[in-house]
Amino acid sequence: MTAGPRGTPLLVVVGAGGVGKTTLAAALGLAAAEAGARTLVMTFDPSLRLKDALGVGDAARQRPVTVPLEGPGLLEVSLLDARATFDDLVRRYAPDAAAAARILDNRFYQHLAGHLAGTLEYMAVERLFEVSAEGRYDRVILDTPPTQQAIDFLEAPDRIVAFLDSGALRIALAPWFSAAGRLRVGAAARGVARLLDRLVGLGLLSDMAEFFQAFSPLYAGFRERALAVRQLLRDPGTGFALVAGTGIERTPETLFFARRLREAGHRLAAVVVNQVHPAVTLPPDLPAALAPGLGLVAWLGQRDARGLRELEELLAGDPPLIAVPLRPVPPTTLPALSALGRELATVPALRSRDTASRHGGG
Amino acid sequence: MRRRRGRGPGGLRGAQLIVVTGKGGVGKTTVAAALARLLAARDRRVVLLELDAREPLHRFLDVPPSAGEPIAAGPHLHLLNLRPQAVMEALVRDRLKIAPLARAVTASPVFRHFVDGAPGMKELAVLGHSLRLVRREVRPHADLVIVDAPATGHGVGLLAAPALVSEAIGGGPLGRLAGEVAEFVGDPARTAVVVAALAEEMPVQEALELFAMMRERLGRTPDLVAVNGLYPPFPTATVGAGSREQGAGGAIELWRQRRAMNERELERLAAACQGPLARIPLFPESPGPALVRQVADVLAGAIAPQEPR
Repeated sequence: MTAGPRGTPLLVVVGAGGVGKTTLAAALGLAAAEAGARTLVMTFDPSLRLKDALGVGDAARQRPVTVPLEGPGLLEVSLLDARATFDDLVRRYAPDAAAAARILDNRFYQHLAGHLAGTLEYMAVERLFEVSAEGRYDRVILDTPPTQQAIDFLEAPDRIVAFLDSGALRIALAPWFSAAGRLRVGAAARGVARLLDRLVGLGLLSDMAEFFQAFSPLYAGFRERALAVRQLLRDPGTGFALVAGTGIERTPETLFFARRLREAGHRLAAVVVNQVHPAVTLPPDLPAALAPGLGLVAWLGQRDARGLRELEELLAGDPPLIAVPLRPVPPTTLPALSALGRELATVPALRSRDTASRHGGG
Repeated sequence: MRRRRGRGPGGLRGAQLIVVTGKGGVGKTTVAAALARLLAARDRRVVLLELDAREPLHRFLDVPPSAGEPIAAGPHLHLLNLRPQAVMEALVRDRLKIAPLARAVTASPVFRHFVDGAPGMKELAVLGHSLRLVRREVRPHADLVIVDAPATGHGVGLLAAPALVSEAIGGGPLGRLAGEVAEFVGDPARTAVVVAALAEEMPVQEALELFAMMRERLGRTPDLVAVNGLYPPFPTATVGAGSREQGAGGAIELWRQRRAMNERELERLAAACQGPLARIPLFPESPGPALVRQVADVLAGAIAPQEPR
């Protein structure tokens, strides 16, 4: 059974920092595996306890690690590392080892690979593309990095391509450098170039120019791949689960993410409001000792219920909204994650089999 | 620049720059706003710098958004939303002196890409502007700049950037500026770091990673750790059996377990940082001016007032 054009239904878990994306991605992966699917969860920075629960250590940075489960399914977990993935890509697309080394040793690259906005996000999608193309899994779930704005992640491929592909930058640097990449400080360096040179000195600019020189044989490969990644994120087989925080004041942010996702041509599978406080009815004879804590929990419960009601009205079932109650103890054991995953799977769009069958025919 | 006398490495009290850092969702912006309110109330002239283009901070101070202009938010307090690109242009104008030349530079695509792509430039622009504010080179004049640092990159990148740029560029007016800013943010008597956190497993793990990064890359420890969202202490006596029967049992259990987690994680934080720890209760209050006032009251207890000079 094939799902999308590339065979693997993808679920991308997005949302603002601190809303519990990683835990939910692990729970969804576990539920899919327990339902019999061969599942891969790609994640960034799980807590120590979550890593322990899944039994994945740093080895998962190199290759996917299998989580020991009973039953027919398979769950593998892969930890993403932006720098290592970027280095791998340079090695793969460089014409020879010497060219790769020139880039990897370049001081500008060393700053760039770790610091350029969106690098981590882009690398996540790169890896997603790879595993999707391999076709080893029935289901791939991607946890996204803790960006302040969930949307950064989606724009990363475009931004990186624009930067790497930046004709403007190469052209602008051209007057300073000969075709052989030698610095031309004499007659050609004039006007703006000379002023900028006065501002920053030559060291960094020659690093940048050298980087773009060394990188130029890689442009075609990178560009092609980034376009494929862009397409994959808009594939009908790729769904997005938007995880939101509780409380009425988060509603505008949640709606904004949802709208942006759709405007950019992505399929929004569900909105998950995580860690919802329970509704509490305060007993009339509330002992004074219990008032501070119970009063607080009751207030939080009312706040969360108001936020949920508002979001429910505004979304009107499209996409489906699922509220995940706050657990007294964070779900960091396999049984707790499994229970959470089954709860999430009550939304058909978040169930692996449904996604697979929906796109199976088309 | 002349150093002021009689100020040891004094944490927050004498600092000219306070960087408030922490991961997303831990109440960092509330802490930044509360610190600004508190220290402005103690007669320091404070500029609160916001770097988030979505401008969340004005809602915490009950003023209109800044849109790049300083907004008076009470006695001794201004809010300023900084656009790094604009600040960089202002810096170039200032350093090049000749306006038409400066315009030519800032309008060129090389400059655009340079500020966008060259690592550390935006950070340098923001911190360079902070330095100019406390030197009274630009308005509003300030004794203290508080930066609500971006949630990504831990804020360590922000503080490490000037030294990196200074090393990469060396000469030129920008190189010299980078050197001055690196000295400013590297001086524990002038620049302080506040880490906001939650007493939950993952946020504490992230805070511990941040402490390690600060030691390694900046050679310093936080001047204050502000722990948000603590559930109230759970009563020790066995009470509430009646309430349990009446359906509040789940809520009581939630409270008990959450408080136990808070205490466990607070211990882990306290063991890892030598500096002061502010314990901020979970207030039944949505993010906004009222919450900021309550958090400022808690911080007042954690930060002793400055001795008279």
